[in-house]
Amino acid sequence: MKPDGARSALRVGRPSRAAYPLSWRALDAAEALVALWPDRWSGAVKWLFLAPALLIVGFLLWGLGVMADASLREMDFSTYRLTDERSLANFAKASGSAAFWATARRSLLAALIVTAICLILAFPYAYAMTRTRSAALRKLLLIGLFLPFFIGQVVRAYGWLILLGQQGLVNDALGTLGLGPYRMLFSYPAVLFGLVQYMLPFAVLMLAPALAAVPEEVERAAESCGAAWPRVLRHVVIPMARPGLIAAALVVSTLTLTDFAMPAIMGGGGADFLANLVYDQFFRTSDAGLGSAITLILTLLGTTVAGVLLAFAGASALGVRSAR
Amino acid sequence: MTHTPALTRRRLLAGAATLTTAAALPGLLRAQSEPEKPAEIIVRAWGGVWVDSLKTGVSDPFTAATGIAVRHDLTEDNEIKPRIWAAVDQGRVPPIHINWDTTANATSSALRGACEDLSDLPNLATVLPLARPIGLDGVPIVNTYAYVYVLAYRPEAFPDGAPISWQVLLDPRFKGRIALYNDGIGFHPSAQIAGGGTLAGIPDDMEPCWDFIGRLKVQEPLLGEDPDFTAWFQNGEIDVACTISSNAREAKRNGVDVAWTVPTEGAKVDTDGMWIPKGLPENELYWAKQYINFALSTEAQQVWLDGLGLPGVAPGLTPPADLVGDPSFPTTEADFAKLLLVAPRIQAEHTADWFARFKDIMQG
Repeated sequence: MKPDGARSALRVGRPSRAAYPLSWRALDAAEALVALWPDRWSGAVKWLFLAPALLIVGFLLWGLGVMADASLREMDFSTYRLTDERSLANFAKASGSAAFWATARRSLLAALIVTAICLILAFPYAYAMTRTRSAALRKLLLIGLFLPFFIGQVVRAYGWLILLGQQGLVNDALGTLGLGPYRMLFSYPAVLFGLVQYMLPFAVLMLAPALAAVPEEVERAAESCGAAWPRVLRHVVIPMARPGLIAAALVVSTLTLTDFAMPAIMGGGGADFLANLVYDQFFRTSDAGLGSAITLILTLLGTTVAGVLLAFAGASALGVRSAR
Repeated sequence: MTHTPALTRRRLLAGAATLTTAAALPGLLRAQSEPEKPAEIIVRAWGGVWVDSLKTGVSDPFTAATGIAVRHDLTEDNEIKPRIWAAVDQGRVPPIHINWDTTANATSSALRGACEDLSDLPNLATVLPLARPIGLDGVPIVNTYAYVYVLAYRPEAFPDGAPISWQVLLDPRFKGRIALYNDGIGFHPSAQIAGGGTLAGIPDDMEPCWDFIGRLKVQEPLLGEDPDFTAWFQNGEIDVACTISSNAREAKRNGVDVAWTVPTEGAKVDTDGMWIPKGLPENELYWAKQYINFALSTEAQQVWLDGLGLPGVAPGLTPPADLVGDPSFPTTEADFAKLLLVAPRIQAEHTADWFARFKDIMQG
């Protein structure tokens, strides 16, 4: 008979499987499954891992293909069906439309302005969140970051209508000072304001990991070499946080470029973006041909914006290794 | 203390309609062999006062009489259309049984061949000619009532009395305080006349209309949809708008100080209707037709349209007390003659062009 101490040592050396975390047990099971995979098919494993992504991209490309085909067919409004003949008439119609150029200009300018403002505002927020020594402040900043994600874009936009309307809280407050009421809604600046408020958390979320990855020791080292904080920021922190800045710019600019709800709610109908024009063609006039053409142009614009950003910064700026 | 619900005219009419339907509908249906009843039928509807009125006046009495539940699908009429079209093209069962739709929008579905023919509805024999669509083969749509795009205004902004012309929209003191529909719908004929043109000029000579809308752009109008108008009046954002009289009436019922008028140039009159998409099983098609047939009956229309404040197509309806003599509630041919009517087929065939032109002006 073994003494109690020995039995206890055995239990410590080989605990039951239930004692392991669930994630460990799941990985064990996955490994056991992989072991069943024949060795000669090992080259296919990477494709298996890629399969979900390829499936999603495949569906997207399929949808784009359908749209590309529809974009080449004009709508016959006597039968409300797309014609069989293919032509570039829808693209010609779009490019000849003042509304198209106005909405395209508005969308692109908004992408530029909102991205710039969000990066400027997000950087100090993310920096404070990752560098603060106060746990309470960090929690507060984290709550401030994640709370907006629990409230949809439409609800937030309607919130601004309540705050900034002619009879809203801001005008009420101004009224007590004998000022106003002022029209603060239903204009292009109002749309930009709403978009900045909506996009800011995305920018912080993209920037924070990049800033957290910058070792504080590097900053200390620069300071110990005599660099003042602004110089450290310019020559150390910002260059090292570049992947986060580029990622934030990519996300904010493309989301802004394709936004629908904010111009629809806060623009008062006079500050539409390209996405609103697409909606109009598909659902108001039922012109799927013209709608598809504008959708493809919008996709091309978004891709170009992303491409220009990456070309400007280089793919390595996102932390992705370049191909050799 | 408990509150006993008041016996309002609408409540009384709703109760009467339910009783009448319960008595009348089975008799009507016994004339034919009655197919199997579905558990429910789905009717697409607009929200707010629109669906409330439909439920009280048509759906609830229909359920009471047949035992078939009615579900209201509040998907936007524009958004359900492509889904229906896709289902019809692919031979699938459509997502709804009945589409309550604007006649112009429904006409596009009829032109595409997505609608069942409704010419065998018994009540079509008794309703006003307005119920039958103009310029279409058969009866793919049944119009159920008319409505007018009135000039709605806040009386407080017009201390000298009601505006008499659409030209008031160009008054600089209303800059930024006027509203139109965001696709220009309902305003083209009024703008055509206000711009110096004629109704006969639609659709071939609409420059007066575009000229007037072009001048209006300087006024920085808000562009929205039905619920926006009520909210904008309520929140003091606008003083004057071109909107359907029902929206103005609903705002007024909600305590907003709003009035409306039909200006001297006239105002566009239009119709809404109901249609059934192709592809339903035979028994469901039968009961969907019975629903529309009942919606055309005097008892259903009286309650339904009392809630909306709109003139129906059933003969002998009593106008709501607050709308007797109101020019936005036309009941006679003379009343309709003062309004501006554009055939739905012309609207359906030119909607895209008019929309593009309106957008070019307002967004450009």
